[in-house]
Amino acid sequence: MSVTTIDYSKEAPVVEGQPSLRGLDDLIAKPIDEFPHRNWFIGLAITGTMLMIGAVSLGWLLWKGVGVWGINQPVAWGFDVVNFVFWVGIGHAGTLISAILFLLRQRWRTGIARFAEAMTLFAVLCAVQFVLFHTGRPWIAAIWLLPYPNQHGVWVNFTSPLMWDVFAVSTYFTVSAVFWYIGLIPDLATLRDRAKDGIKKTVYAVLSLGWRFSNRHWQHYERAYLILAGFATPLVLSVHTIVSFDFAVSVLPGWHTTIFPPYFVAGAIFSGFAMVQNVLIVTRTAFKFEHLITLDTIEKMNKIILVTGTMVGYAYSMEFFIAWYSGNLTEKFVFINRAFGPYWWAYWIMFTCNVFTPQLFWFKRMRTSLLVSFILAIFVNIGMWFERFVIVVTSLHRDFLPSSWGMFVPTVWDFGLLIGSFGLFFTLVLLFIKFLPAIAMSEIKAVVPGSQPAHHGNGAHHG
Amino acid sequence: MEPSNTNHESRYWKSLREYHNDPASADAKAHEFAKGVTDEFDVNTLSPMSRKQFLGALAASAAFAAAGCNSYRDKGEIVPYNKKPEEITLGVANHYASTCTGCAEACGILVKTREGRPIKVDGNPDHPVNKGSVCAQGQASILNLYDPERLKDPMLVSSGILTKTTWKVADTKLIAAFTAAANQKKEIALITHSLTSPSLTKLLGEFAAKYPGAKHYAYELFDGGARQSAWTKSTGGTALPVIAWEKANVVLAVESDFLGYDGNLPEQTRLFASRRDVMKGKNFNRLYSADATMNSTAMNADHRLRVRPDRQLAFVLSLLNEVRPSAQTSAYSLSAFVKENGLDDAVVKQLVNDLKANAGAAIVHAGDTMPEAVHIAVNLLNAALGNDALYRRDQAKHGYAPLIDAEQWSALVARMNAGQVAAVVHVDTNPVYHLAPDLGYADALKKVDTVVTLAELQNETTAVSSFVLPLNHTLEGWGDHQTRTGVLSLQQPVIAPLYNTRQKEAALLIWTAGNPDGYNETLYHDYVMARWEKEVYPAQKAKAGFKAFWLSALHDGVIATNDAAPALPAAKMDVVSTLKNTAVNGTVLALTKNYFVGDGRYANNGWLQEMPHPASKIAWDNYAALSPATAKSLGASEGSMVSVTAGSRSLALPVHVQPGLADDFVAVQLGYGRNVSGSVGENVGFNASVLLSKSDTTAPYTVGGVTLTLTGETYLLASTQEHHALDDTFLKDIHKKRGIIQEGTLAQYAEDPAFLEKEHSDLTIVPRVTYDGVKWGMAIDLNKCTGCGVCTLSCNAENNIPVVGKEQLHKGREMTWIRIDRYFSGEPDAPTVSNQPMLCQHCDNAPCENVCPVVATTHSPDGLNQMAYNRCVGTKYCSNNCPFKVRRFNFFDFRDDFAGGVQYEEPLPLMHNPEVTVRSRGVMEKCTFCVQRIMEGRQHAIEKGEEFTGAGVTVACQEACPAEAIVFGNVNDTTSKIHQYRKHSIGYRVLEEINVGPNVTYIAKLRNTDPV
Repeated sequence: MSVTTIDYSKEAPVVEGQPSLRGLDDLIAKPIDEFPHRNWFIGLAITGTMLMIGAVSLGWLLWKGVGVWGINQPVAWGFDVVNFVFWVGIGHAGTLISAILFLLRQRWRTGIARFAEAMTLFAVLCAVQFVLFHTGRPWIAAIWLLPYPNQHGVWVNFTSPLMWDVFAVSTYFTVSAVFWYIGLIPDLATLRDRAKDGIKKTVYAVLSLGWRFSNRHWQHYERAYLILAGFATPLVLSVHTIVSFDFAVSVLPGWHTTIFPPYFVAGAIFSGFAMVQNVLIVTRTAFKFEHLITLDTIEKMNKIILVTGTMVGYAYSMEFFIAWYSGNLTEKFVFINRAFGPYWWAYWIMFTCNVFTPQLFWFKRMRTSLLVSFILAIFVNIGMWFERFVIVVTSLHRDFLPSSWGMFVPTVWDFGLLIGSFGLFFTLVLLFIKFLPAIAMSEIKAVVPGSQPAHHGNGAHHG
Repeated sequence: MEPSNTNHESRYWKSLREYHNDPASADAKAHEFAKGVTDEFDVNTLSPMSRKQFLGALAASAAFAAAGCNSYRDKGEIVPYNKKPEEITLGVANHYASTCTGCAEACGILVKTREGRPIKVDGNPDHPVNKGSVCAQGQASILNLYDPERLKDPMLVSSGILTKTTWKVADTKLIAAFTAAANQKKEIALITHSLTSPSLTKLLGEFAAKYPGAKHYAYELFDGGARQSAWTKSTGGTALPVIAWEKANVVLAVESDFLGYDGNLPEQTRLFASRRDVMKGKNFNRLYSADATMNSTAMNADHRLRVRPDRQLAFVLSLLNEVRPSAQTSAYSLSAFVKENGLDDAVVKQLVNDLKANAGAAIVHAGDTMPEAVHIAVNLLNAALGNDALYRRDQAKHGYAPLIDAEQWSALVARMNAGQVAAVVHVDTNPVYHLAPDLGYADALKKVDTVVTLAELQNETTAVSSFVLPLNHTLEGWGDHQTRTGVLSLQQPVIAPLYNTRQKEAALLIWTAGNPDGYNETLYHDYVMARWEKEVYPAQKAKAGFKAFWLSALHDGVIATNDAAPALPAAKMDVVSTLKNTAVNGTVLALTKNYFVGDGRYANNGWLQEMPHPASKIAWDNYAALSPATAKSLGASEGSMVSVTAGSRSLALPVHVQPGLADDFVAVQLGYGRNVSGSVGENVGFNASVLLSKSDTTAPYTVGGVTLTLTGETYLLASTQEHHALDDTFLKDIHKKRGIIQEGTLAQYAEDPAFLEKEHSDLTIVPRVTYDGVKWGMAIDLNKCTGCGVCTLSCNAENNIPVVGKEQLHKGREMTWIRIDRYFSGEPDAPTVSNQPMLCQHCDNAPCENVCPVVATTHSPDGLNQMAYNRCVGTKYCSNNCPFKVRRFNFFDFRDDFAGGVQYEEPLPLMHNPEVTVRSRGVMEKCTFCVQRIMEGRQHAIEKGEEFTGAGVTVACQEACPAEAIVFGNVNDTTSKIHQYRKHSIGYRVLEEINVGPNVTYIAKLRNTDPV
């Protein structure tokens, strides 16, 4: 495809070339069939080390108490909640890609939906650990945060946004997991059929739940997938809306704003897409999926990053405007303090990475450059982590009474768990790539050129 | 239909079918149990283990399992009383009157005990001096009693090795040593602090009679001797008068911290604050402070003048020259002084006018660290103004032994070095730490054969002693004390000695008797009682018998004696000619008192170490305080290490930039830097005693011509409040812009009592909860509050609040439930200070409550914001959402193993108030409005069958406040004091605009600055 001859009346092909169906299976199942490449082990060693750092940090945390972190009065939430919001945000891209883009008939999603969904699950797992372990007594919180009938007659507090969080995140995780698994079933059956040795075959056989590629199966499958996509769609919007309520419901200046729900959702999609972009570019190159995950897909992802980044930038500016326009002195102070107070650097890292650098994506050359896409996506991830840091820490550190102002200085254990969460995420990603098909084999076959009967001339309106 | 079977009188039936003898029912009944269950069984098929054996084995394994678990945490044994002591009812506290021996003020105390354990010290309301409140040290003294590191047994020390011994062995050796000394006509030096006890004074006399070489020396680190000798020189009188602070319209404090560390804090604060009562009209006193150190009094002053301590003499004399010009003072021109020192001319003019206009109702007071000359000048100025009217006629200060001065110390050291001193007995004193190093006291001790130190805790002096004898805590001993004429108070033990300790008087009694076997626990009790029977009782001319008199005196803790205060002699105005100007060039160092650890004796008390300095808010350290200008010219910033050098003496310590401090001046607090103490107090801060010199006899605490050199190192100072640059326009006066501090002047208030009132909006979309019954509320009068911090200490003791240590304090994890917020406004050189006690506001719409996911914090029907510790999982959201940031989180188990912290170690848990839960790790806590006291009050009302109106319930901070600035009660009770405060025209609530509905009303501070 040449830059000069774009035909805008035609959709770019989702899969380039004319791969045979057999060839597609071979290509996608190759990492599963073969003994892993040395690089995979190197990667696993790195992420495993990070995971161990996290495990040690967690052990020390449980042994001593949350005081091992840098949190204090007034900054009672630090890296814990920053990381939680960050990972929940990352978890937004997967379901958005697989559910919303599915309902919107965005066929380019097909190549990336599977591992975007997997990343969602892993990211939510990373997030959930912070919800639990940020509490002072996690061994009790694990039970008491759930509304269960008990002989004390004590119920949870349904007016607390943290309670809403418990429901929102657990629902999101459950629905995402079911959606992902349903989508995997035909591919698991394919793997079962391809597998030669006994254990592998048995495991895939059990997991594929007796799928026999029958017409009836396909009909049920398609219907279930559509219904679940419908279920998952509102969740994409609701989860981060509710996470934003953790802040918006409070009285704290800098948190107490109505713009938070849309702003958080936009930010979540922004960061989620960036993380998918990073993993996608690596996977695509490593496993030679270039014609399945095309440059066009990457470009489309970059466009969404540009759009959501700009939305986030709008939110940043609007917060400042409202702080001034409201005439509320405390509110005004908080925002000036964000940009020019002791944590000015965090604010400007956030602003630069989230608003300035994505502007490069106005240029097609930048959007279609793998290197630029990869680096800018990393910037977005950094920027979005700092966005949460700015919201959580700088709002807390100088609130109403100047007498109680303080500073948050993270400790080695704060970083330990942050590193550990990345370790957990990427370890799971590596294991996923090794044991499950990173691209939906059954779905990709449906978007191969010529696979659909072209009733209306250009084949855009398929079944 | 009649039941067919009626031959049984009582027949039980389970269904109507059975009642009517339905055959189906009979069949079902026969097959009630499954087949086989009720069949006959074969005994041989049964298990060889009988049911009894099985149950036995079950019980045994449960017991083993339980035994395996019990190492989880040893909860100790709970043993009920076999014979219940008559005076103890379980769950009901007993209060005993006694006397505090923490300093030379000897305040009356009331000790609360539970089941025989003292758990709280408050002021004795019947004591005529301190009237129901004590200072911070008094409140915290309970922690010293239970300090795990107290000395527990007598020790013999030879060549640095401590050997545990018995009192008998030690006493035998000591009696032999003292007898030998007496025979060789050598000296036995008994070194004590100020004597306040008539019985001990008598006993020392008896000791000296038994051992003729014995000499008594009394000293204090902060030598009150200058005030005493100045009084004698300027009037010829010996008894220092007591000031009637409540009568003074104008007060000029000359480097005096009478609202802080100088004199009797509870009394002075109470009397001073009584003239700042908005409920009693607008006749406020006016406070001027001429000081360099930005002390507590300066922070509360209506007008402040920055005067370096070396120039105070010139300042006072030039005032004297204004008031009563004379040839001797003509050299001191006030206008020249104002110009030289850059003082505000208008303020000085107003001061002179005020002094003149209020002659006879104005008082000038100099601080303890001021040299004798300043005190003389102050006495003369008071006399010139006719201020003698403010000296109380019914009371004068009463001492038993004059304090020794530097020359007498030098003479003693010389005799020690010459081998003329056979024994030195440190009676609860620590001179090795206190004295100027160039005196050579520690080295001289090596020339003395027998060095005895009686102490509660190890210290620098026990480290160089040959006998270390453990002392009782105040609450374990008997005694009598007199610091004022006409007031004699009794000290009684409220607990038997925890360890193998004796009170110092008992040790002296044994030595005096020369009988090492003569000890019994009532030894000194009998001595005091006998003295009272012989000397005190007859003079009282009481109608009751001695026993009844004694018991009633013990009950009250204090008696009024008939000894009249000596007449006030007239001042000798011509003494002024003897005064020499003390002004020096160059930088001046002031060694000041500190607010909480006294002369170092409270170093091992974590509660006191953790109290922040009222001005700097720095805890766990002392520092070199510099003014912003001086720091700038030196190139120093907060925490830079600076070497303070005076002659050959030098000390490196960290800089704190203190707004309001005098320029070319450095202030360092004494009492820190203990080398030998317990684990809490060791190496906290820097020992500034090394900057003292034996040659600075005229003004030991003011050192001229010091040099300051930055060492290039930095040091971490931990403070409870951030330090902002005062000239940062972004942050400047932010507390006023936000309405946190609302203030005005007395003149504004006189003109319009509602001058601060703003429109209130009660607009809400949610109906407000109404409180029909009791509703609790608090009012804090900022006019009375001086920021002394006694409320914090009282709260600590009442509510089992742990110590967190310097590192945790620095991280911002202090646990105190009530804190004193300090705000500076104005210019860095001359800031005005606003203090504000801040605690849980028990908001009506508490933002903490709705965000807790597990309903651990809720609202009670009487308006309390409650905390269920057991339910808390520690999400900390409540703290984030608290606009006042008064919630405290247990980031660790602060009772476990934290340096400087209250520990689990025995016997510390005995100190805990059993009515208050001890919080564990991971749990949020905060002020409860002393809910345990509210419940106690409610219980009493129920017992008596009365309606509970809330009258009589006092909370710990309120009870302790010497200024009576805190009012608590039922706001729905229209007869209550709190009701009056709540509707006061200058009452305001902090952050009212965010509609959280706080229940603490602050009475706005009125500054008495404008000319009346």
